[in-house]
Amino acid sequence: MNPLRHEFITRCRASSIDPPSKLRYLDIGCGGGIFAESAARLPGTLSVTAIDPTPEVLKIAEGHKKRDPTLVQPGKLAYLNASIEELPVPDTPADGYDVVSVFEVIEHVNAPGPFLENVIKHVKPGGWIVLSTIARTWTSWAVTNVMAEDVLGIVPKGTHDWNKYINEAEMREWFLKRGWGRTGGLRTMGVVYVPGLGWKEVPGGEGWGNYFFGVRRDE
Amino acid sequence: MPPRIALGVHRALSPTSRVQFRVRRCASTSAASPEIYDVVCVGGGPAGLSLLAGLRASGATQGLKVALIEGQDLEKNRLPKDATLDSFSNRCSSLTPASVKNLQEIGAWSHANLSRIQPYQEMQVWDGVTDARISFDWDSARPLLSPRKPSQPTTIAYMIENANTTTTLLSRLEELGGVDMFLATKVDSIDLGTDTERVDLSSWPVLTLSNGKSLAARLLVGADGANSPVRTFAGIASRGFDYDRHGVVASLKLEGEGWGGPDHKIAYQRFLPSGPIAMLPLPGNMATLVWSTTPDRAAKLKSLPPNDFIAMVNAGFRLSPTDLDYLHTMPSGQEEEIAWREKHTPFKKHDIPMRVAHVQQGTVASFPLRMRHADTYTGERVALVGDAAHTIHPLAGQGLNQGQGDAAALVRTITHAVQTGQDIGSILALESYNSERYAENNAMLGVCDKLHRLYSVGSGPLVGIRSLGLRAVDAMGPLKGFFMSRAAGGV
Repeated sequence: MNPLRHEFITRCRASSIDPPSKLRYLDIGCGGGIFAESAARLPGTLSVTAIDPTPEVLKIAEGHKKRDPTLVQPGKLAYLNASIEELPVPDTPADGYDVVSVFEVIEHVNAPGPFLENVIKHVKPGGWIVLSTIARTWTSWAVTNVMAEDVLGIVPKGTHDWNKYINEAEMREWFLKRGWGRTGGLRTMGVVYVPGLGWKEVPGGEGWGNYFFGVRRDE
Repeated sequence: MPPRIALGVHRALSPTSRVQFRVRRCASTSAASPEIYDVVCVGGGPAGLSLLAGLRASGATQGLKVALIEGQDLEKNRLPKDATLDSFSNRCSSLTPASVKNLQEIGAWSHANLSRIQPYQEMQVWDGVTDARISFDWDSARPLLSPRKPSQPTTIAYMIENANTTTTLLSRLEELGGVDMFLATKVDSIDLGTDTERVDLSSWPVLTLSNGKSLAARLLVGADGANSPVRTFAGIASRGFDYDRHGVVASLKLEGEGWGGPDHKIAYQRFLPSGPIAMLPLPGNMATLVWSTTPDRAAKLKSLPPNDFIAMVNAGFRLSPTDLDYLHTMPSGQEEEIAWREKHTPFKKHDIPMRVAHVQQGTVASFPLRMRHADTYTGERVALVGDAAHTIHPLAGQGLNQGQGDAAALVRTITHAVQTGQDIGSILALESYNSERYAENNAMLGVCDKLHRLYSVGSGPLVGIRSLGLRAVDAMGPLKGFFMSRAAGGV
């Protein structure tokens, strides 16, 4: 999954004219820091701020970070035990982040609308929100609720609330209504997990399963 | 994952008697924090140098901090500047078109001394017991009646001195710069690093060098040969066996440039029950010999005076295995005996290499033949390339090419890892290198091993069957083309 995230971000940013050379990332719901670490290692990264409200996962993330001398350089990667609501909003929009990532978070949020309202305040004009989630379809219900939780038991019961899933069209509409992504800065990519091969891109997959969604703040 | 020694346990690479001294010294140096590198390559042979040149030449990996540690002074391994075309090193290899393509892509091939490289366009292989023969050239390896495509390559492979390959890669590395070279420097020990307050290097290999320096490696590459200390450090087992055969090599001068002239050079290999004898073309009248044979016969050949050695090589391509058995038992006088026996042995002179006229002084040498394959090419913060990962029978000339293929694949794996922000030393990031190379090398090791075994049989029904098979393949152009493109490295 993680290499695909970077491939998706690269594709999103490729559509920006005159993108900044060194990027500042904000990773929301960073968990153990898989994405935050990899973003911090990229040569084009200035800094990564990664937040998560759960202290236990951040402890794991900090321990893992120490194993890479690149990441312990001052200012490279900072973990904050905070929710997005608690993170101070930038004074001016230009102080926001170039890339704000929200991976596999929205499907677990009770009120996605207000959550996203808080997220978008941290994106600088010309910057991107990139997120990944699952569409609310019969396929995703069967895979995440029935297979993963009831049959295979690989995730705890109650992890997924299918009713919270947001379809790609709904996501698109939500952002377009706020004036985001109107000048072509909007991309999606469907992905599927293939046992033995890992996560793979599937054209059109955003219509029925896991998908990436990227949208640019125009002003 | 292979077992790793617990933190702080010293792993000595030197003989036991020196361990005590090393431990004490190591304890004092480990107090100072090691210099951090992204890639530390141990071993400056063709595979290691190719890997480093590939990393330095590619935009994505240029930012990596890389070091080379080589026990020898590589300047001494360079092609002598005053080398003339009537003297060649006895250590030559056959580079496949795939390997040459890779060397071109990393910008090294333009540094090669082309006057000392000999492409060959045809290969003659035959059975020493039955004379069943197969010839390889791209023109005959096509379906009947279909015309030869102009785009089709004509070169099967390129004979090159190993010193030329090394010099080529070193020149490219000098041009690229940016590699910290520790030459004529030995690795005294490899330990796992320590967990300090600021940074936890307990999964990082830390190398202590003979010059007292210590380097921590995000990724430690073992390009350090068949007895790889890096492989030992990683706890990766290497399995296989000795063939009980030695390869006798020599630089030879033939009576002429070859039956096809300077533009159509031919490689010859005759399978004898004791092992294959091969004559591979070099520029002009020069050729290199690789004669796989039993250790006592190898010793015998090396002990012969030049005239008898030359006669034995000529006999190796002409006389019957029974004649050769007897000739090896003669204490001396091989030259006269062979001259007499050749008069009574019919052979078509255009089917075998031209006669050897001269053996270059000091080039007759031998090395033991082994087959080895490491259980895996990767471990936590470790990757193996070249002979450290596998050793192959030389009968198909694939050893050096496998190492070049490894280097190119590892560069691709590291490039992808860098582009996606992965830790290039993590097992997960290295997985694609192992899966790409292991199966391919394993297949090649198996084929060469089976060929060796098949042709070690001197009599019986198997001899008839293998000759039938060889003649059948020879008659089937497309099948032959398939074998040829596999041997060419999939080009």
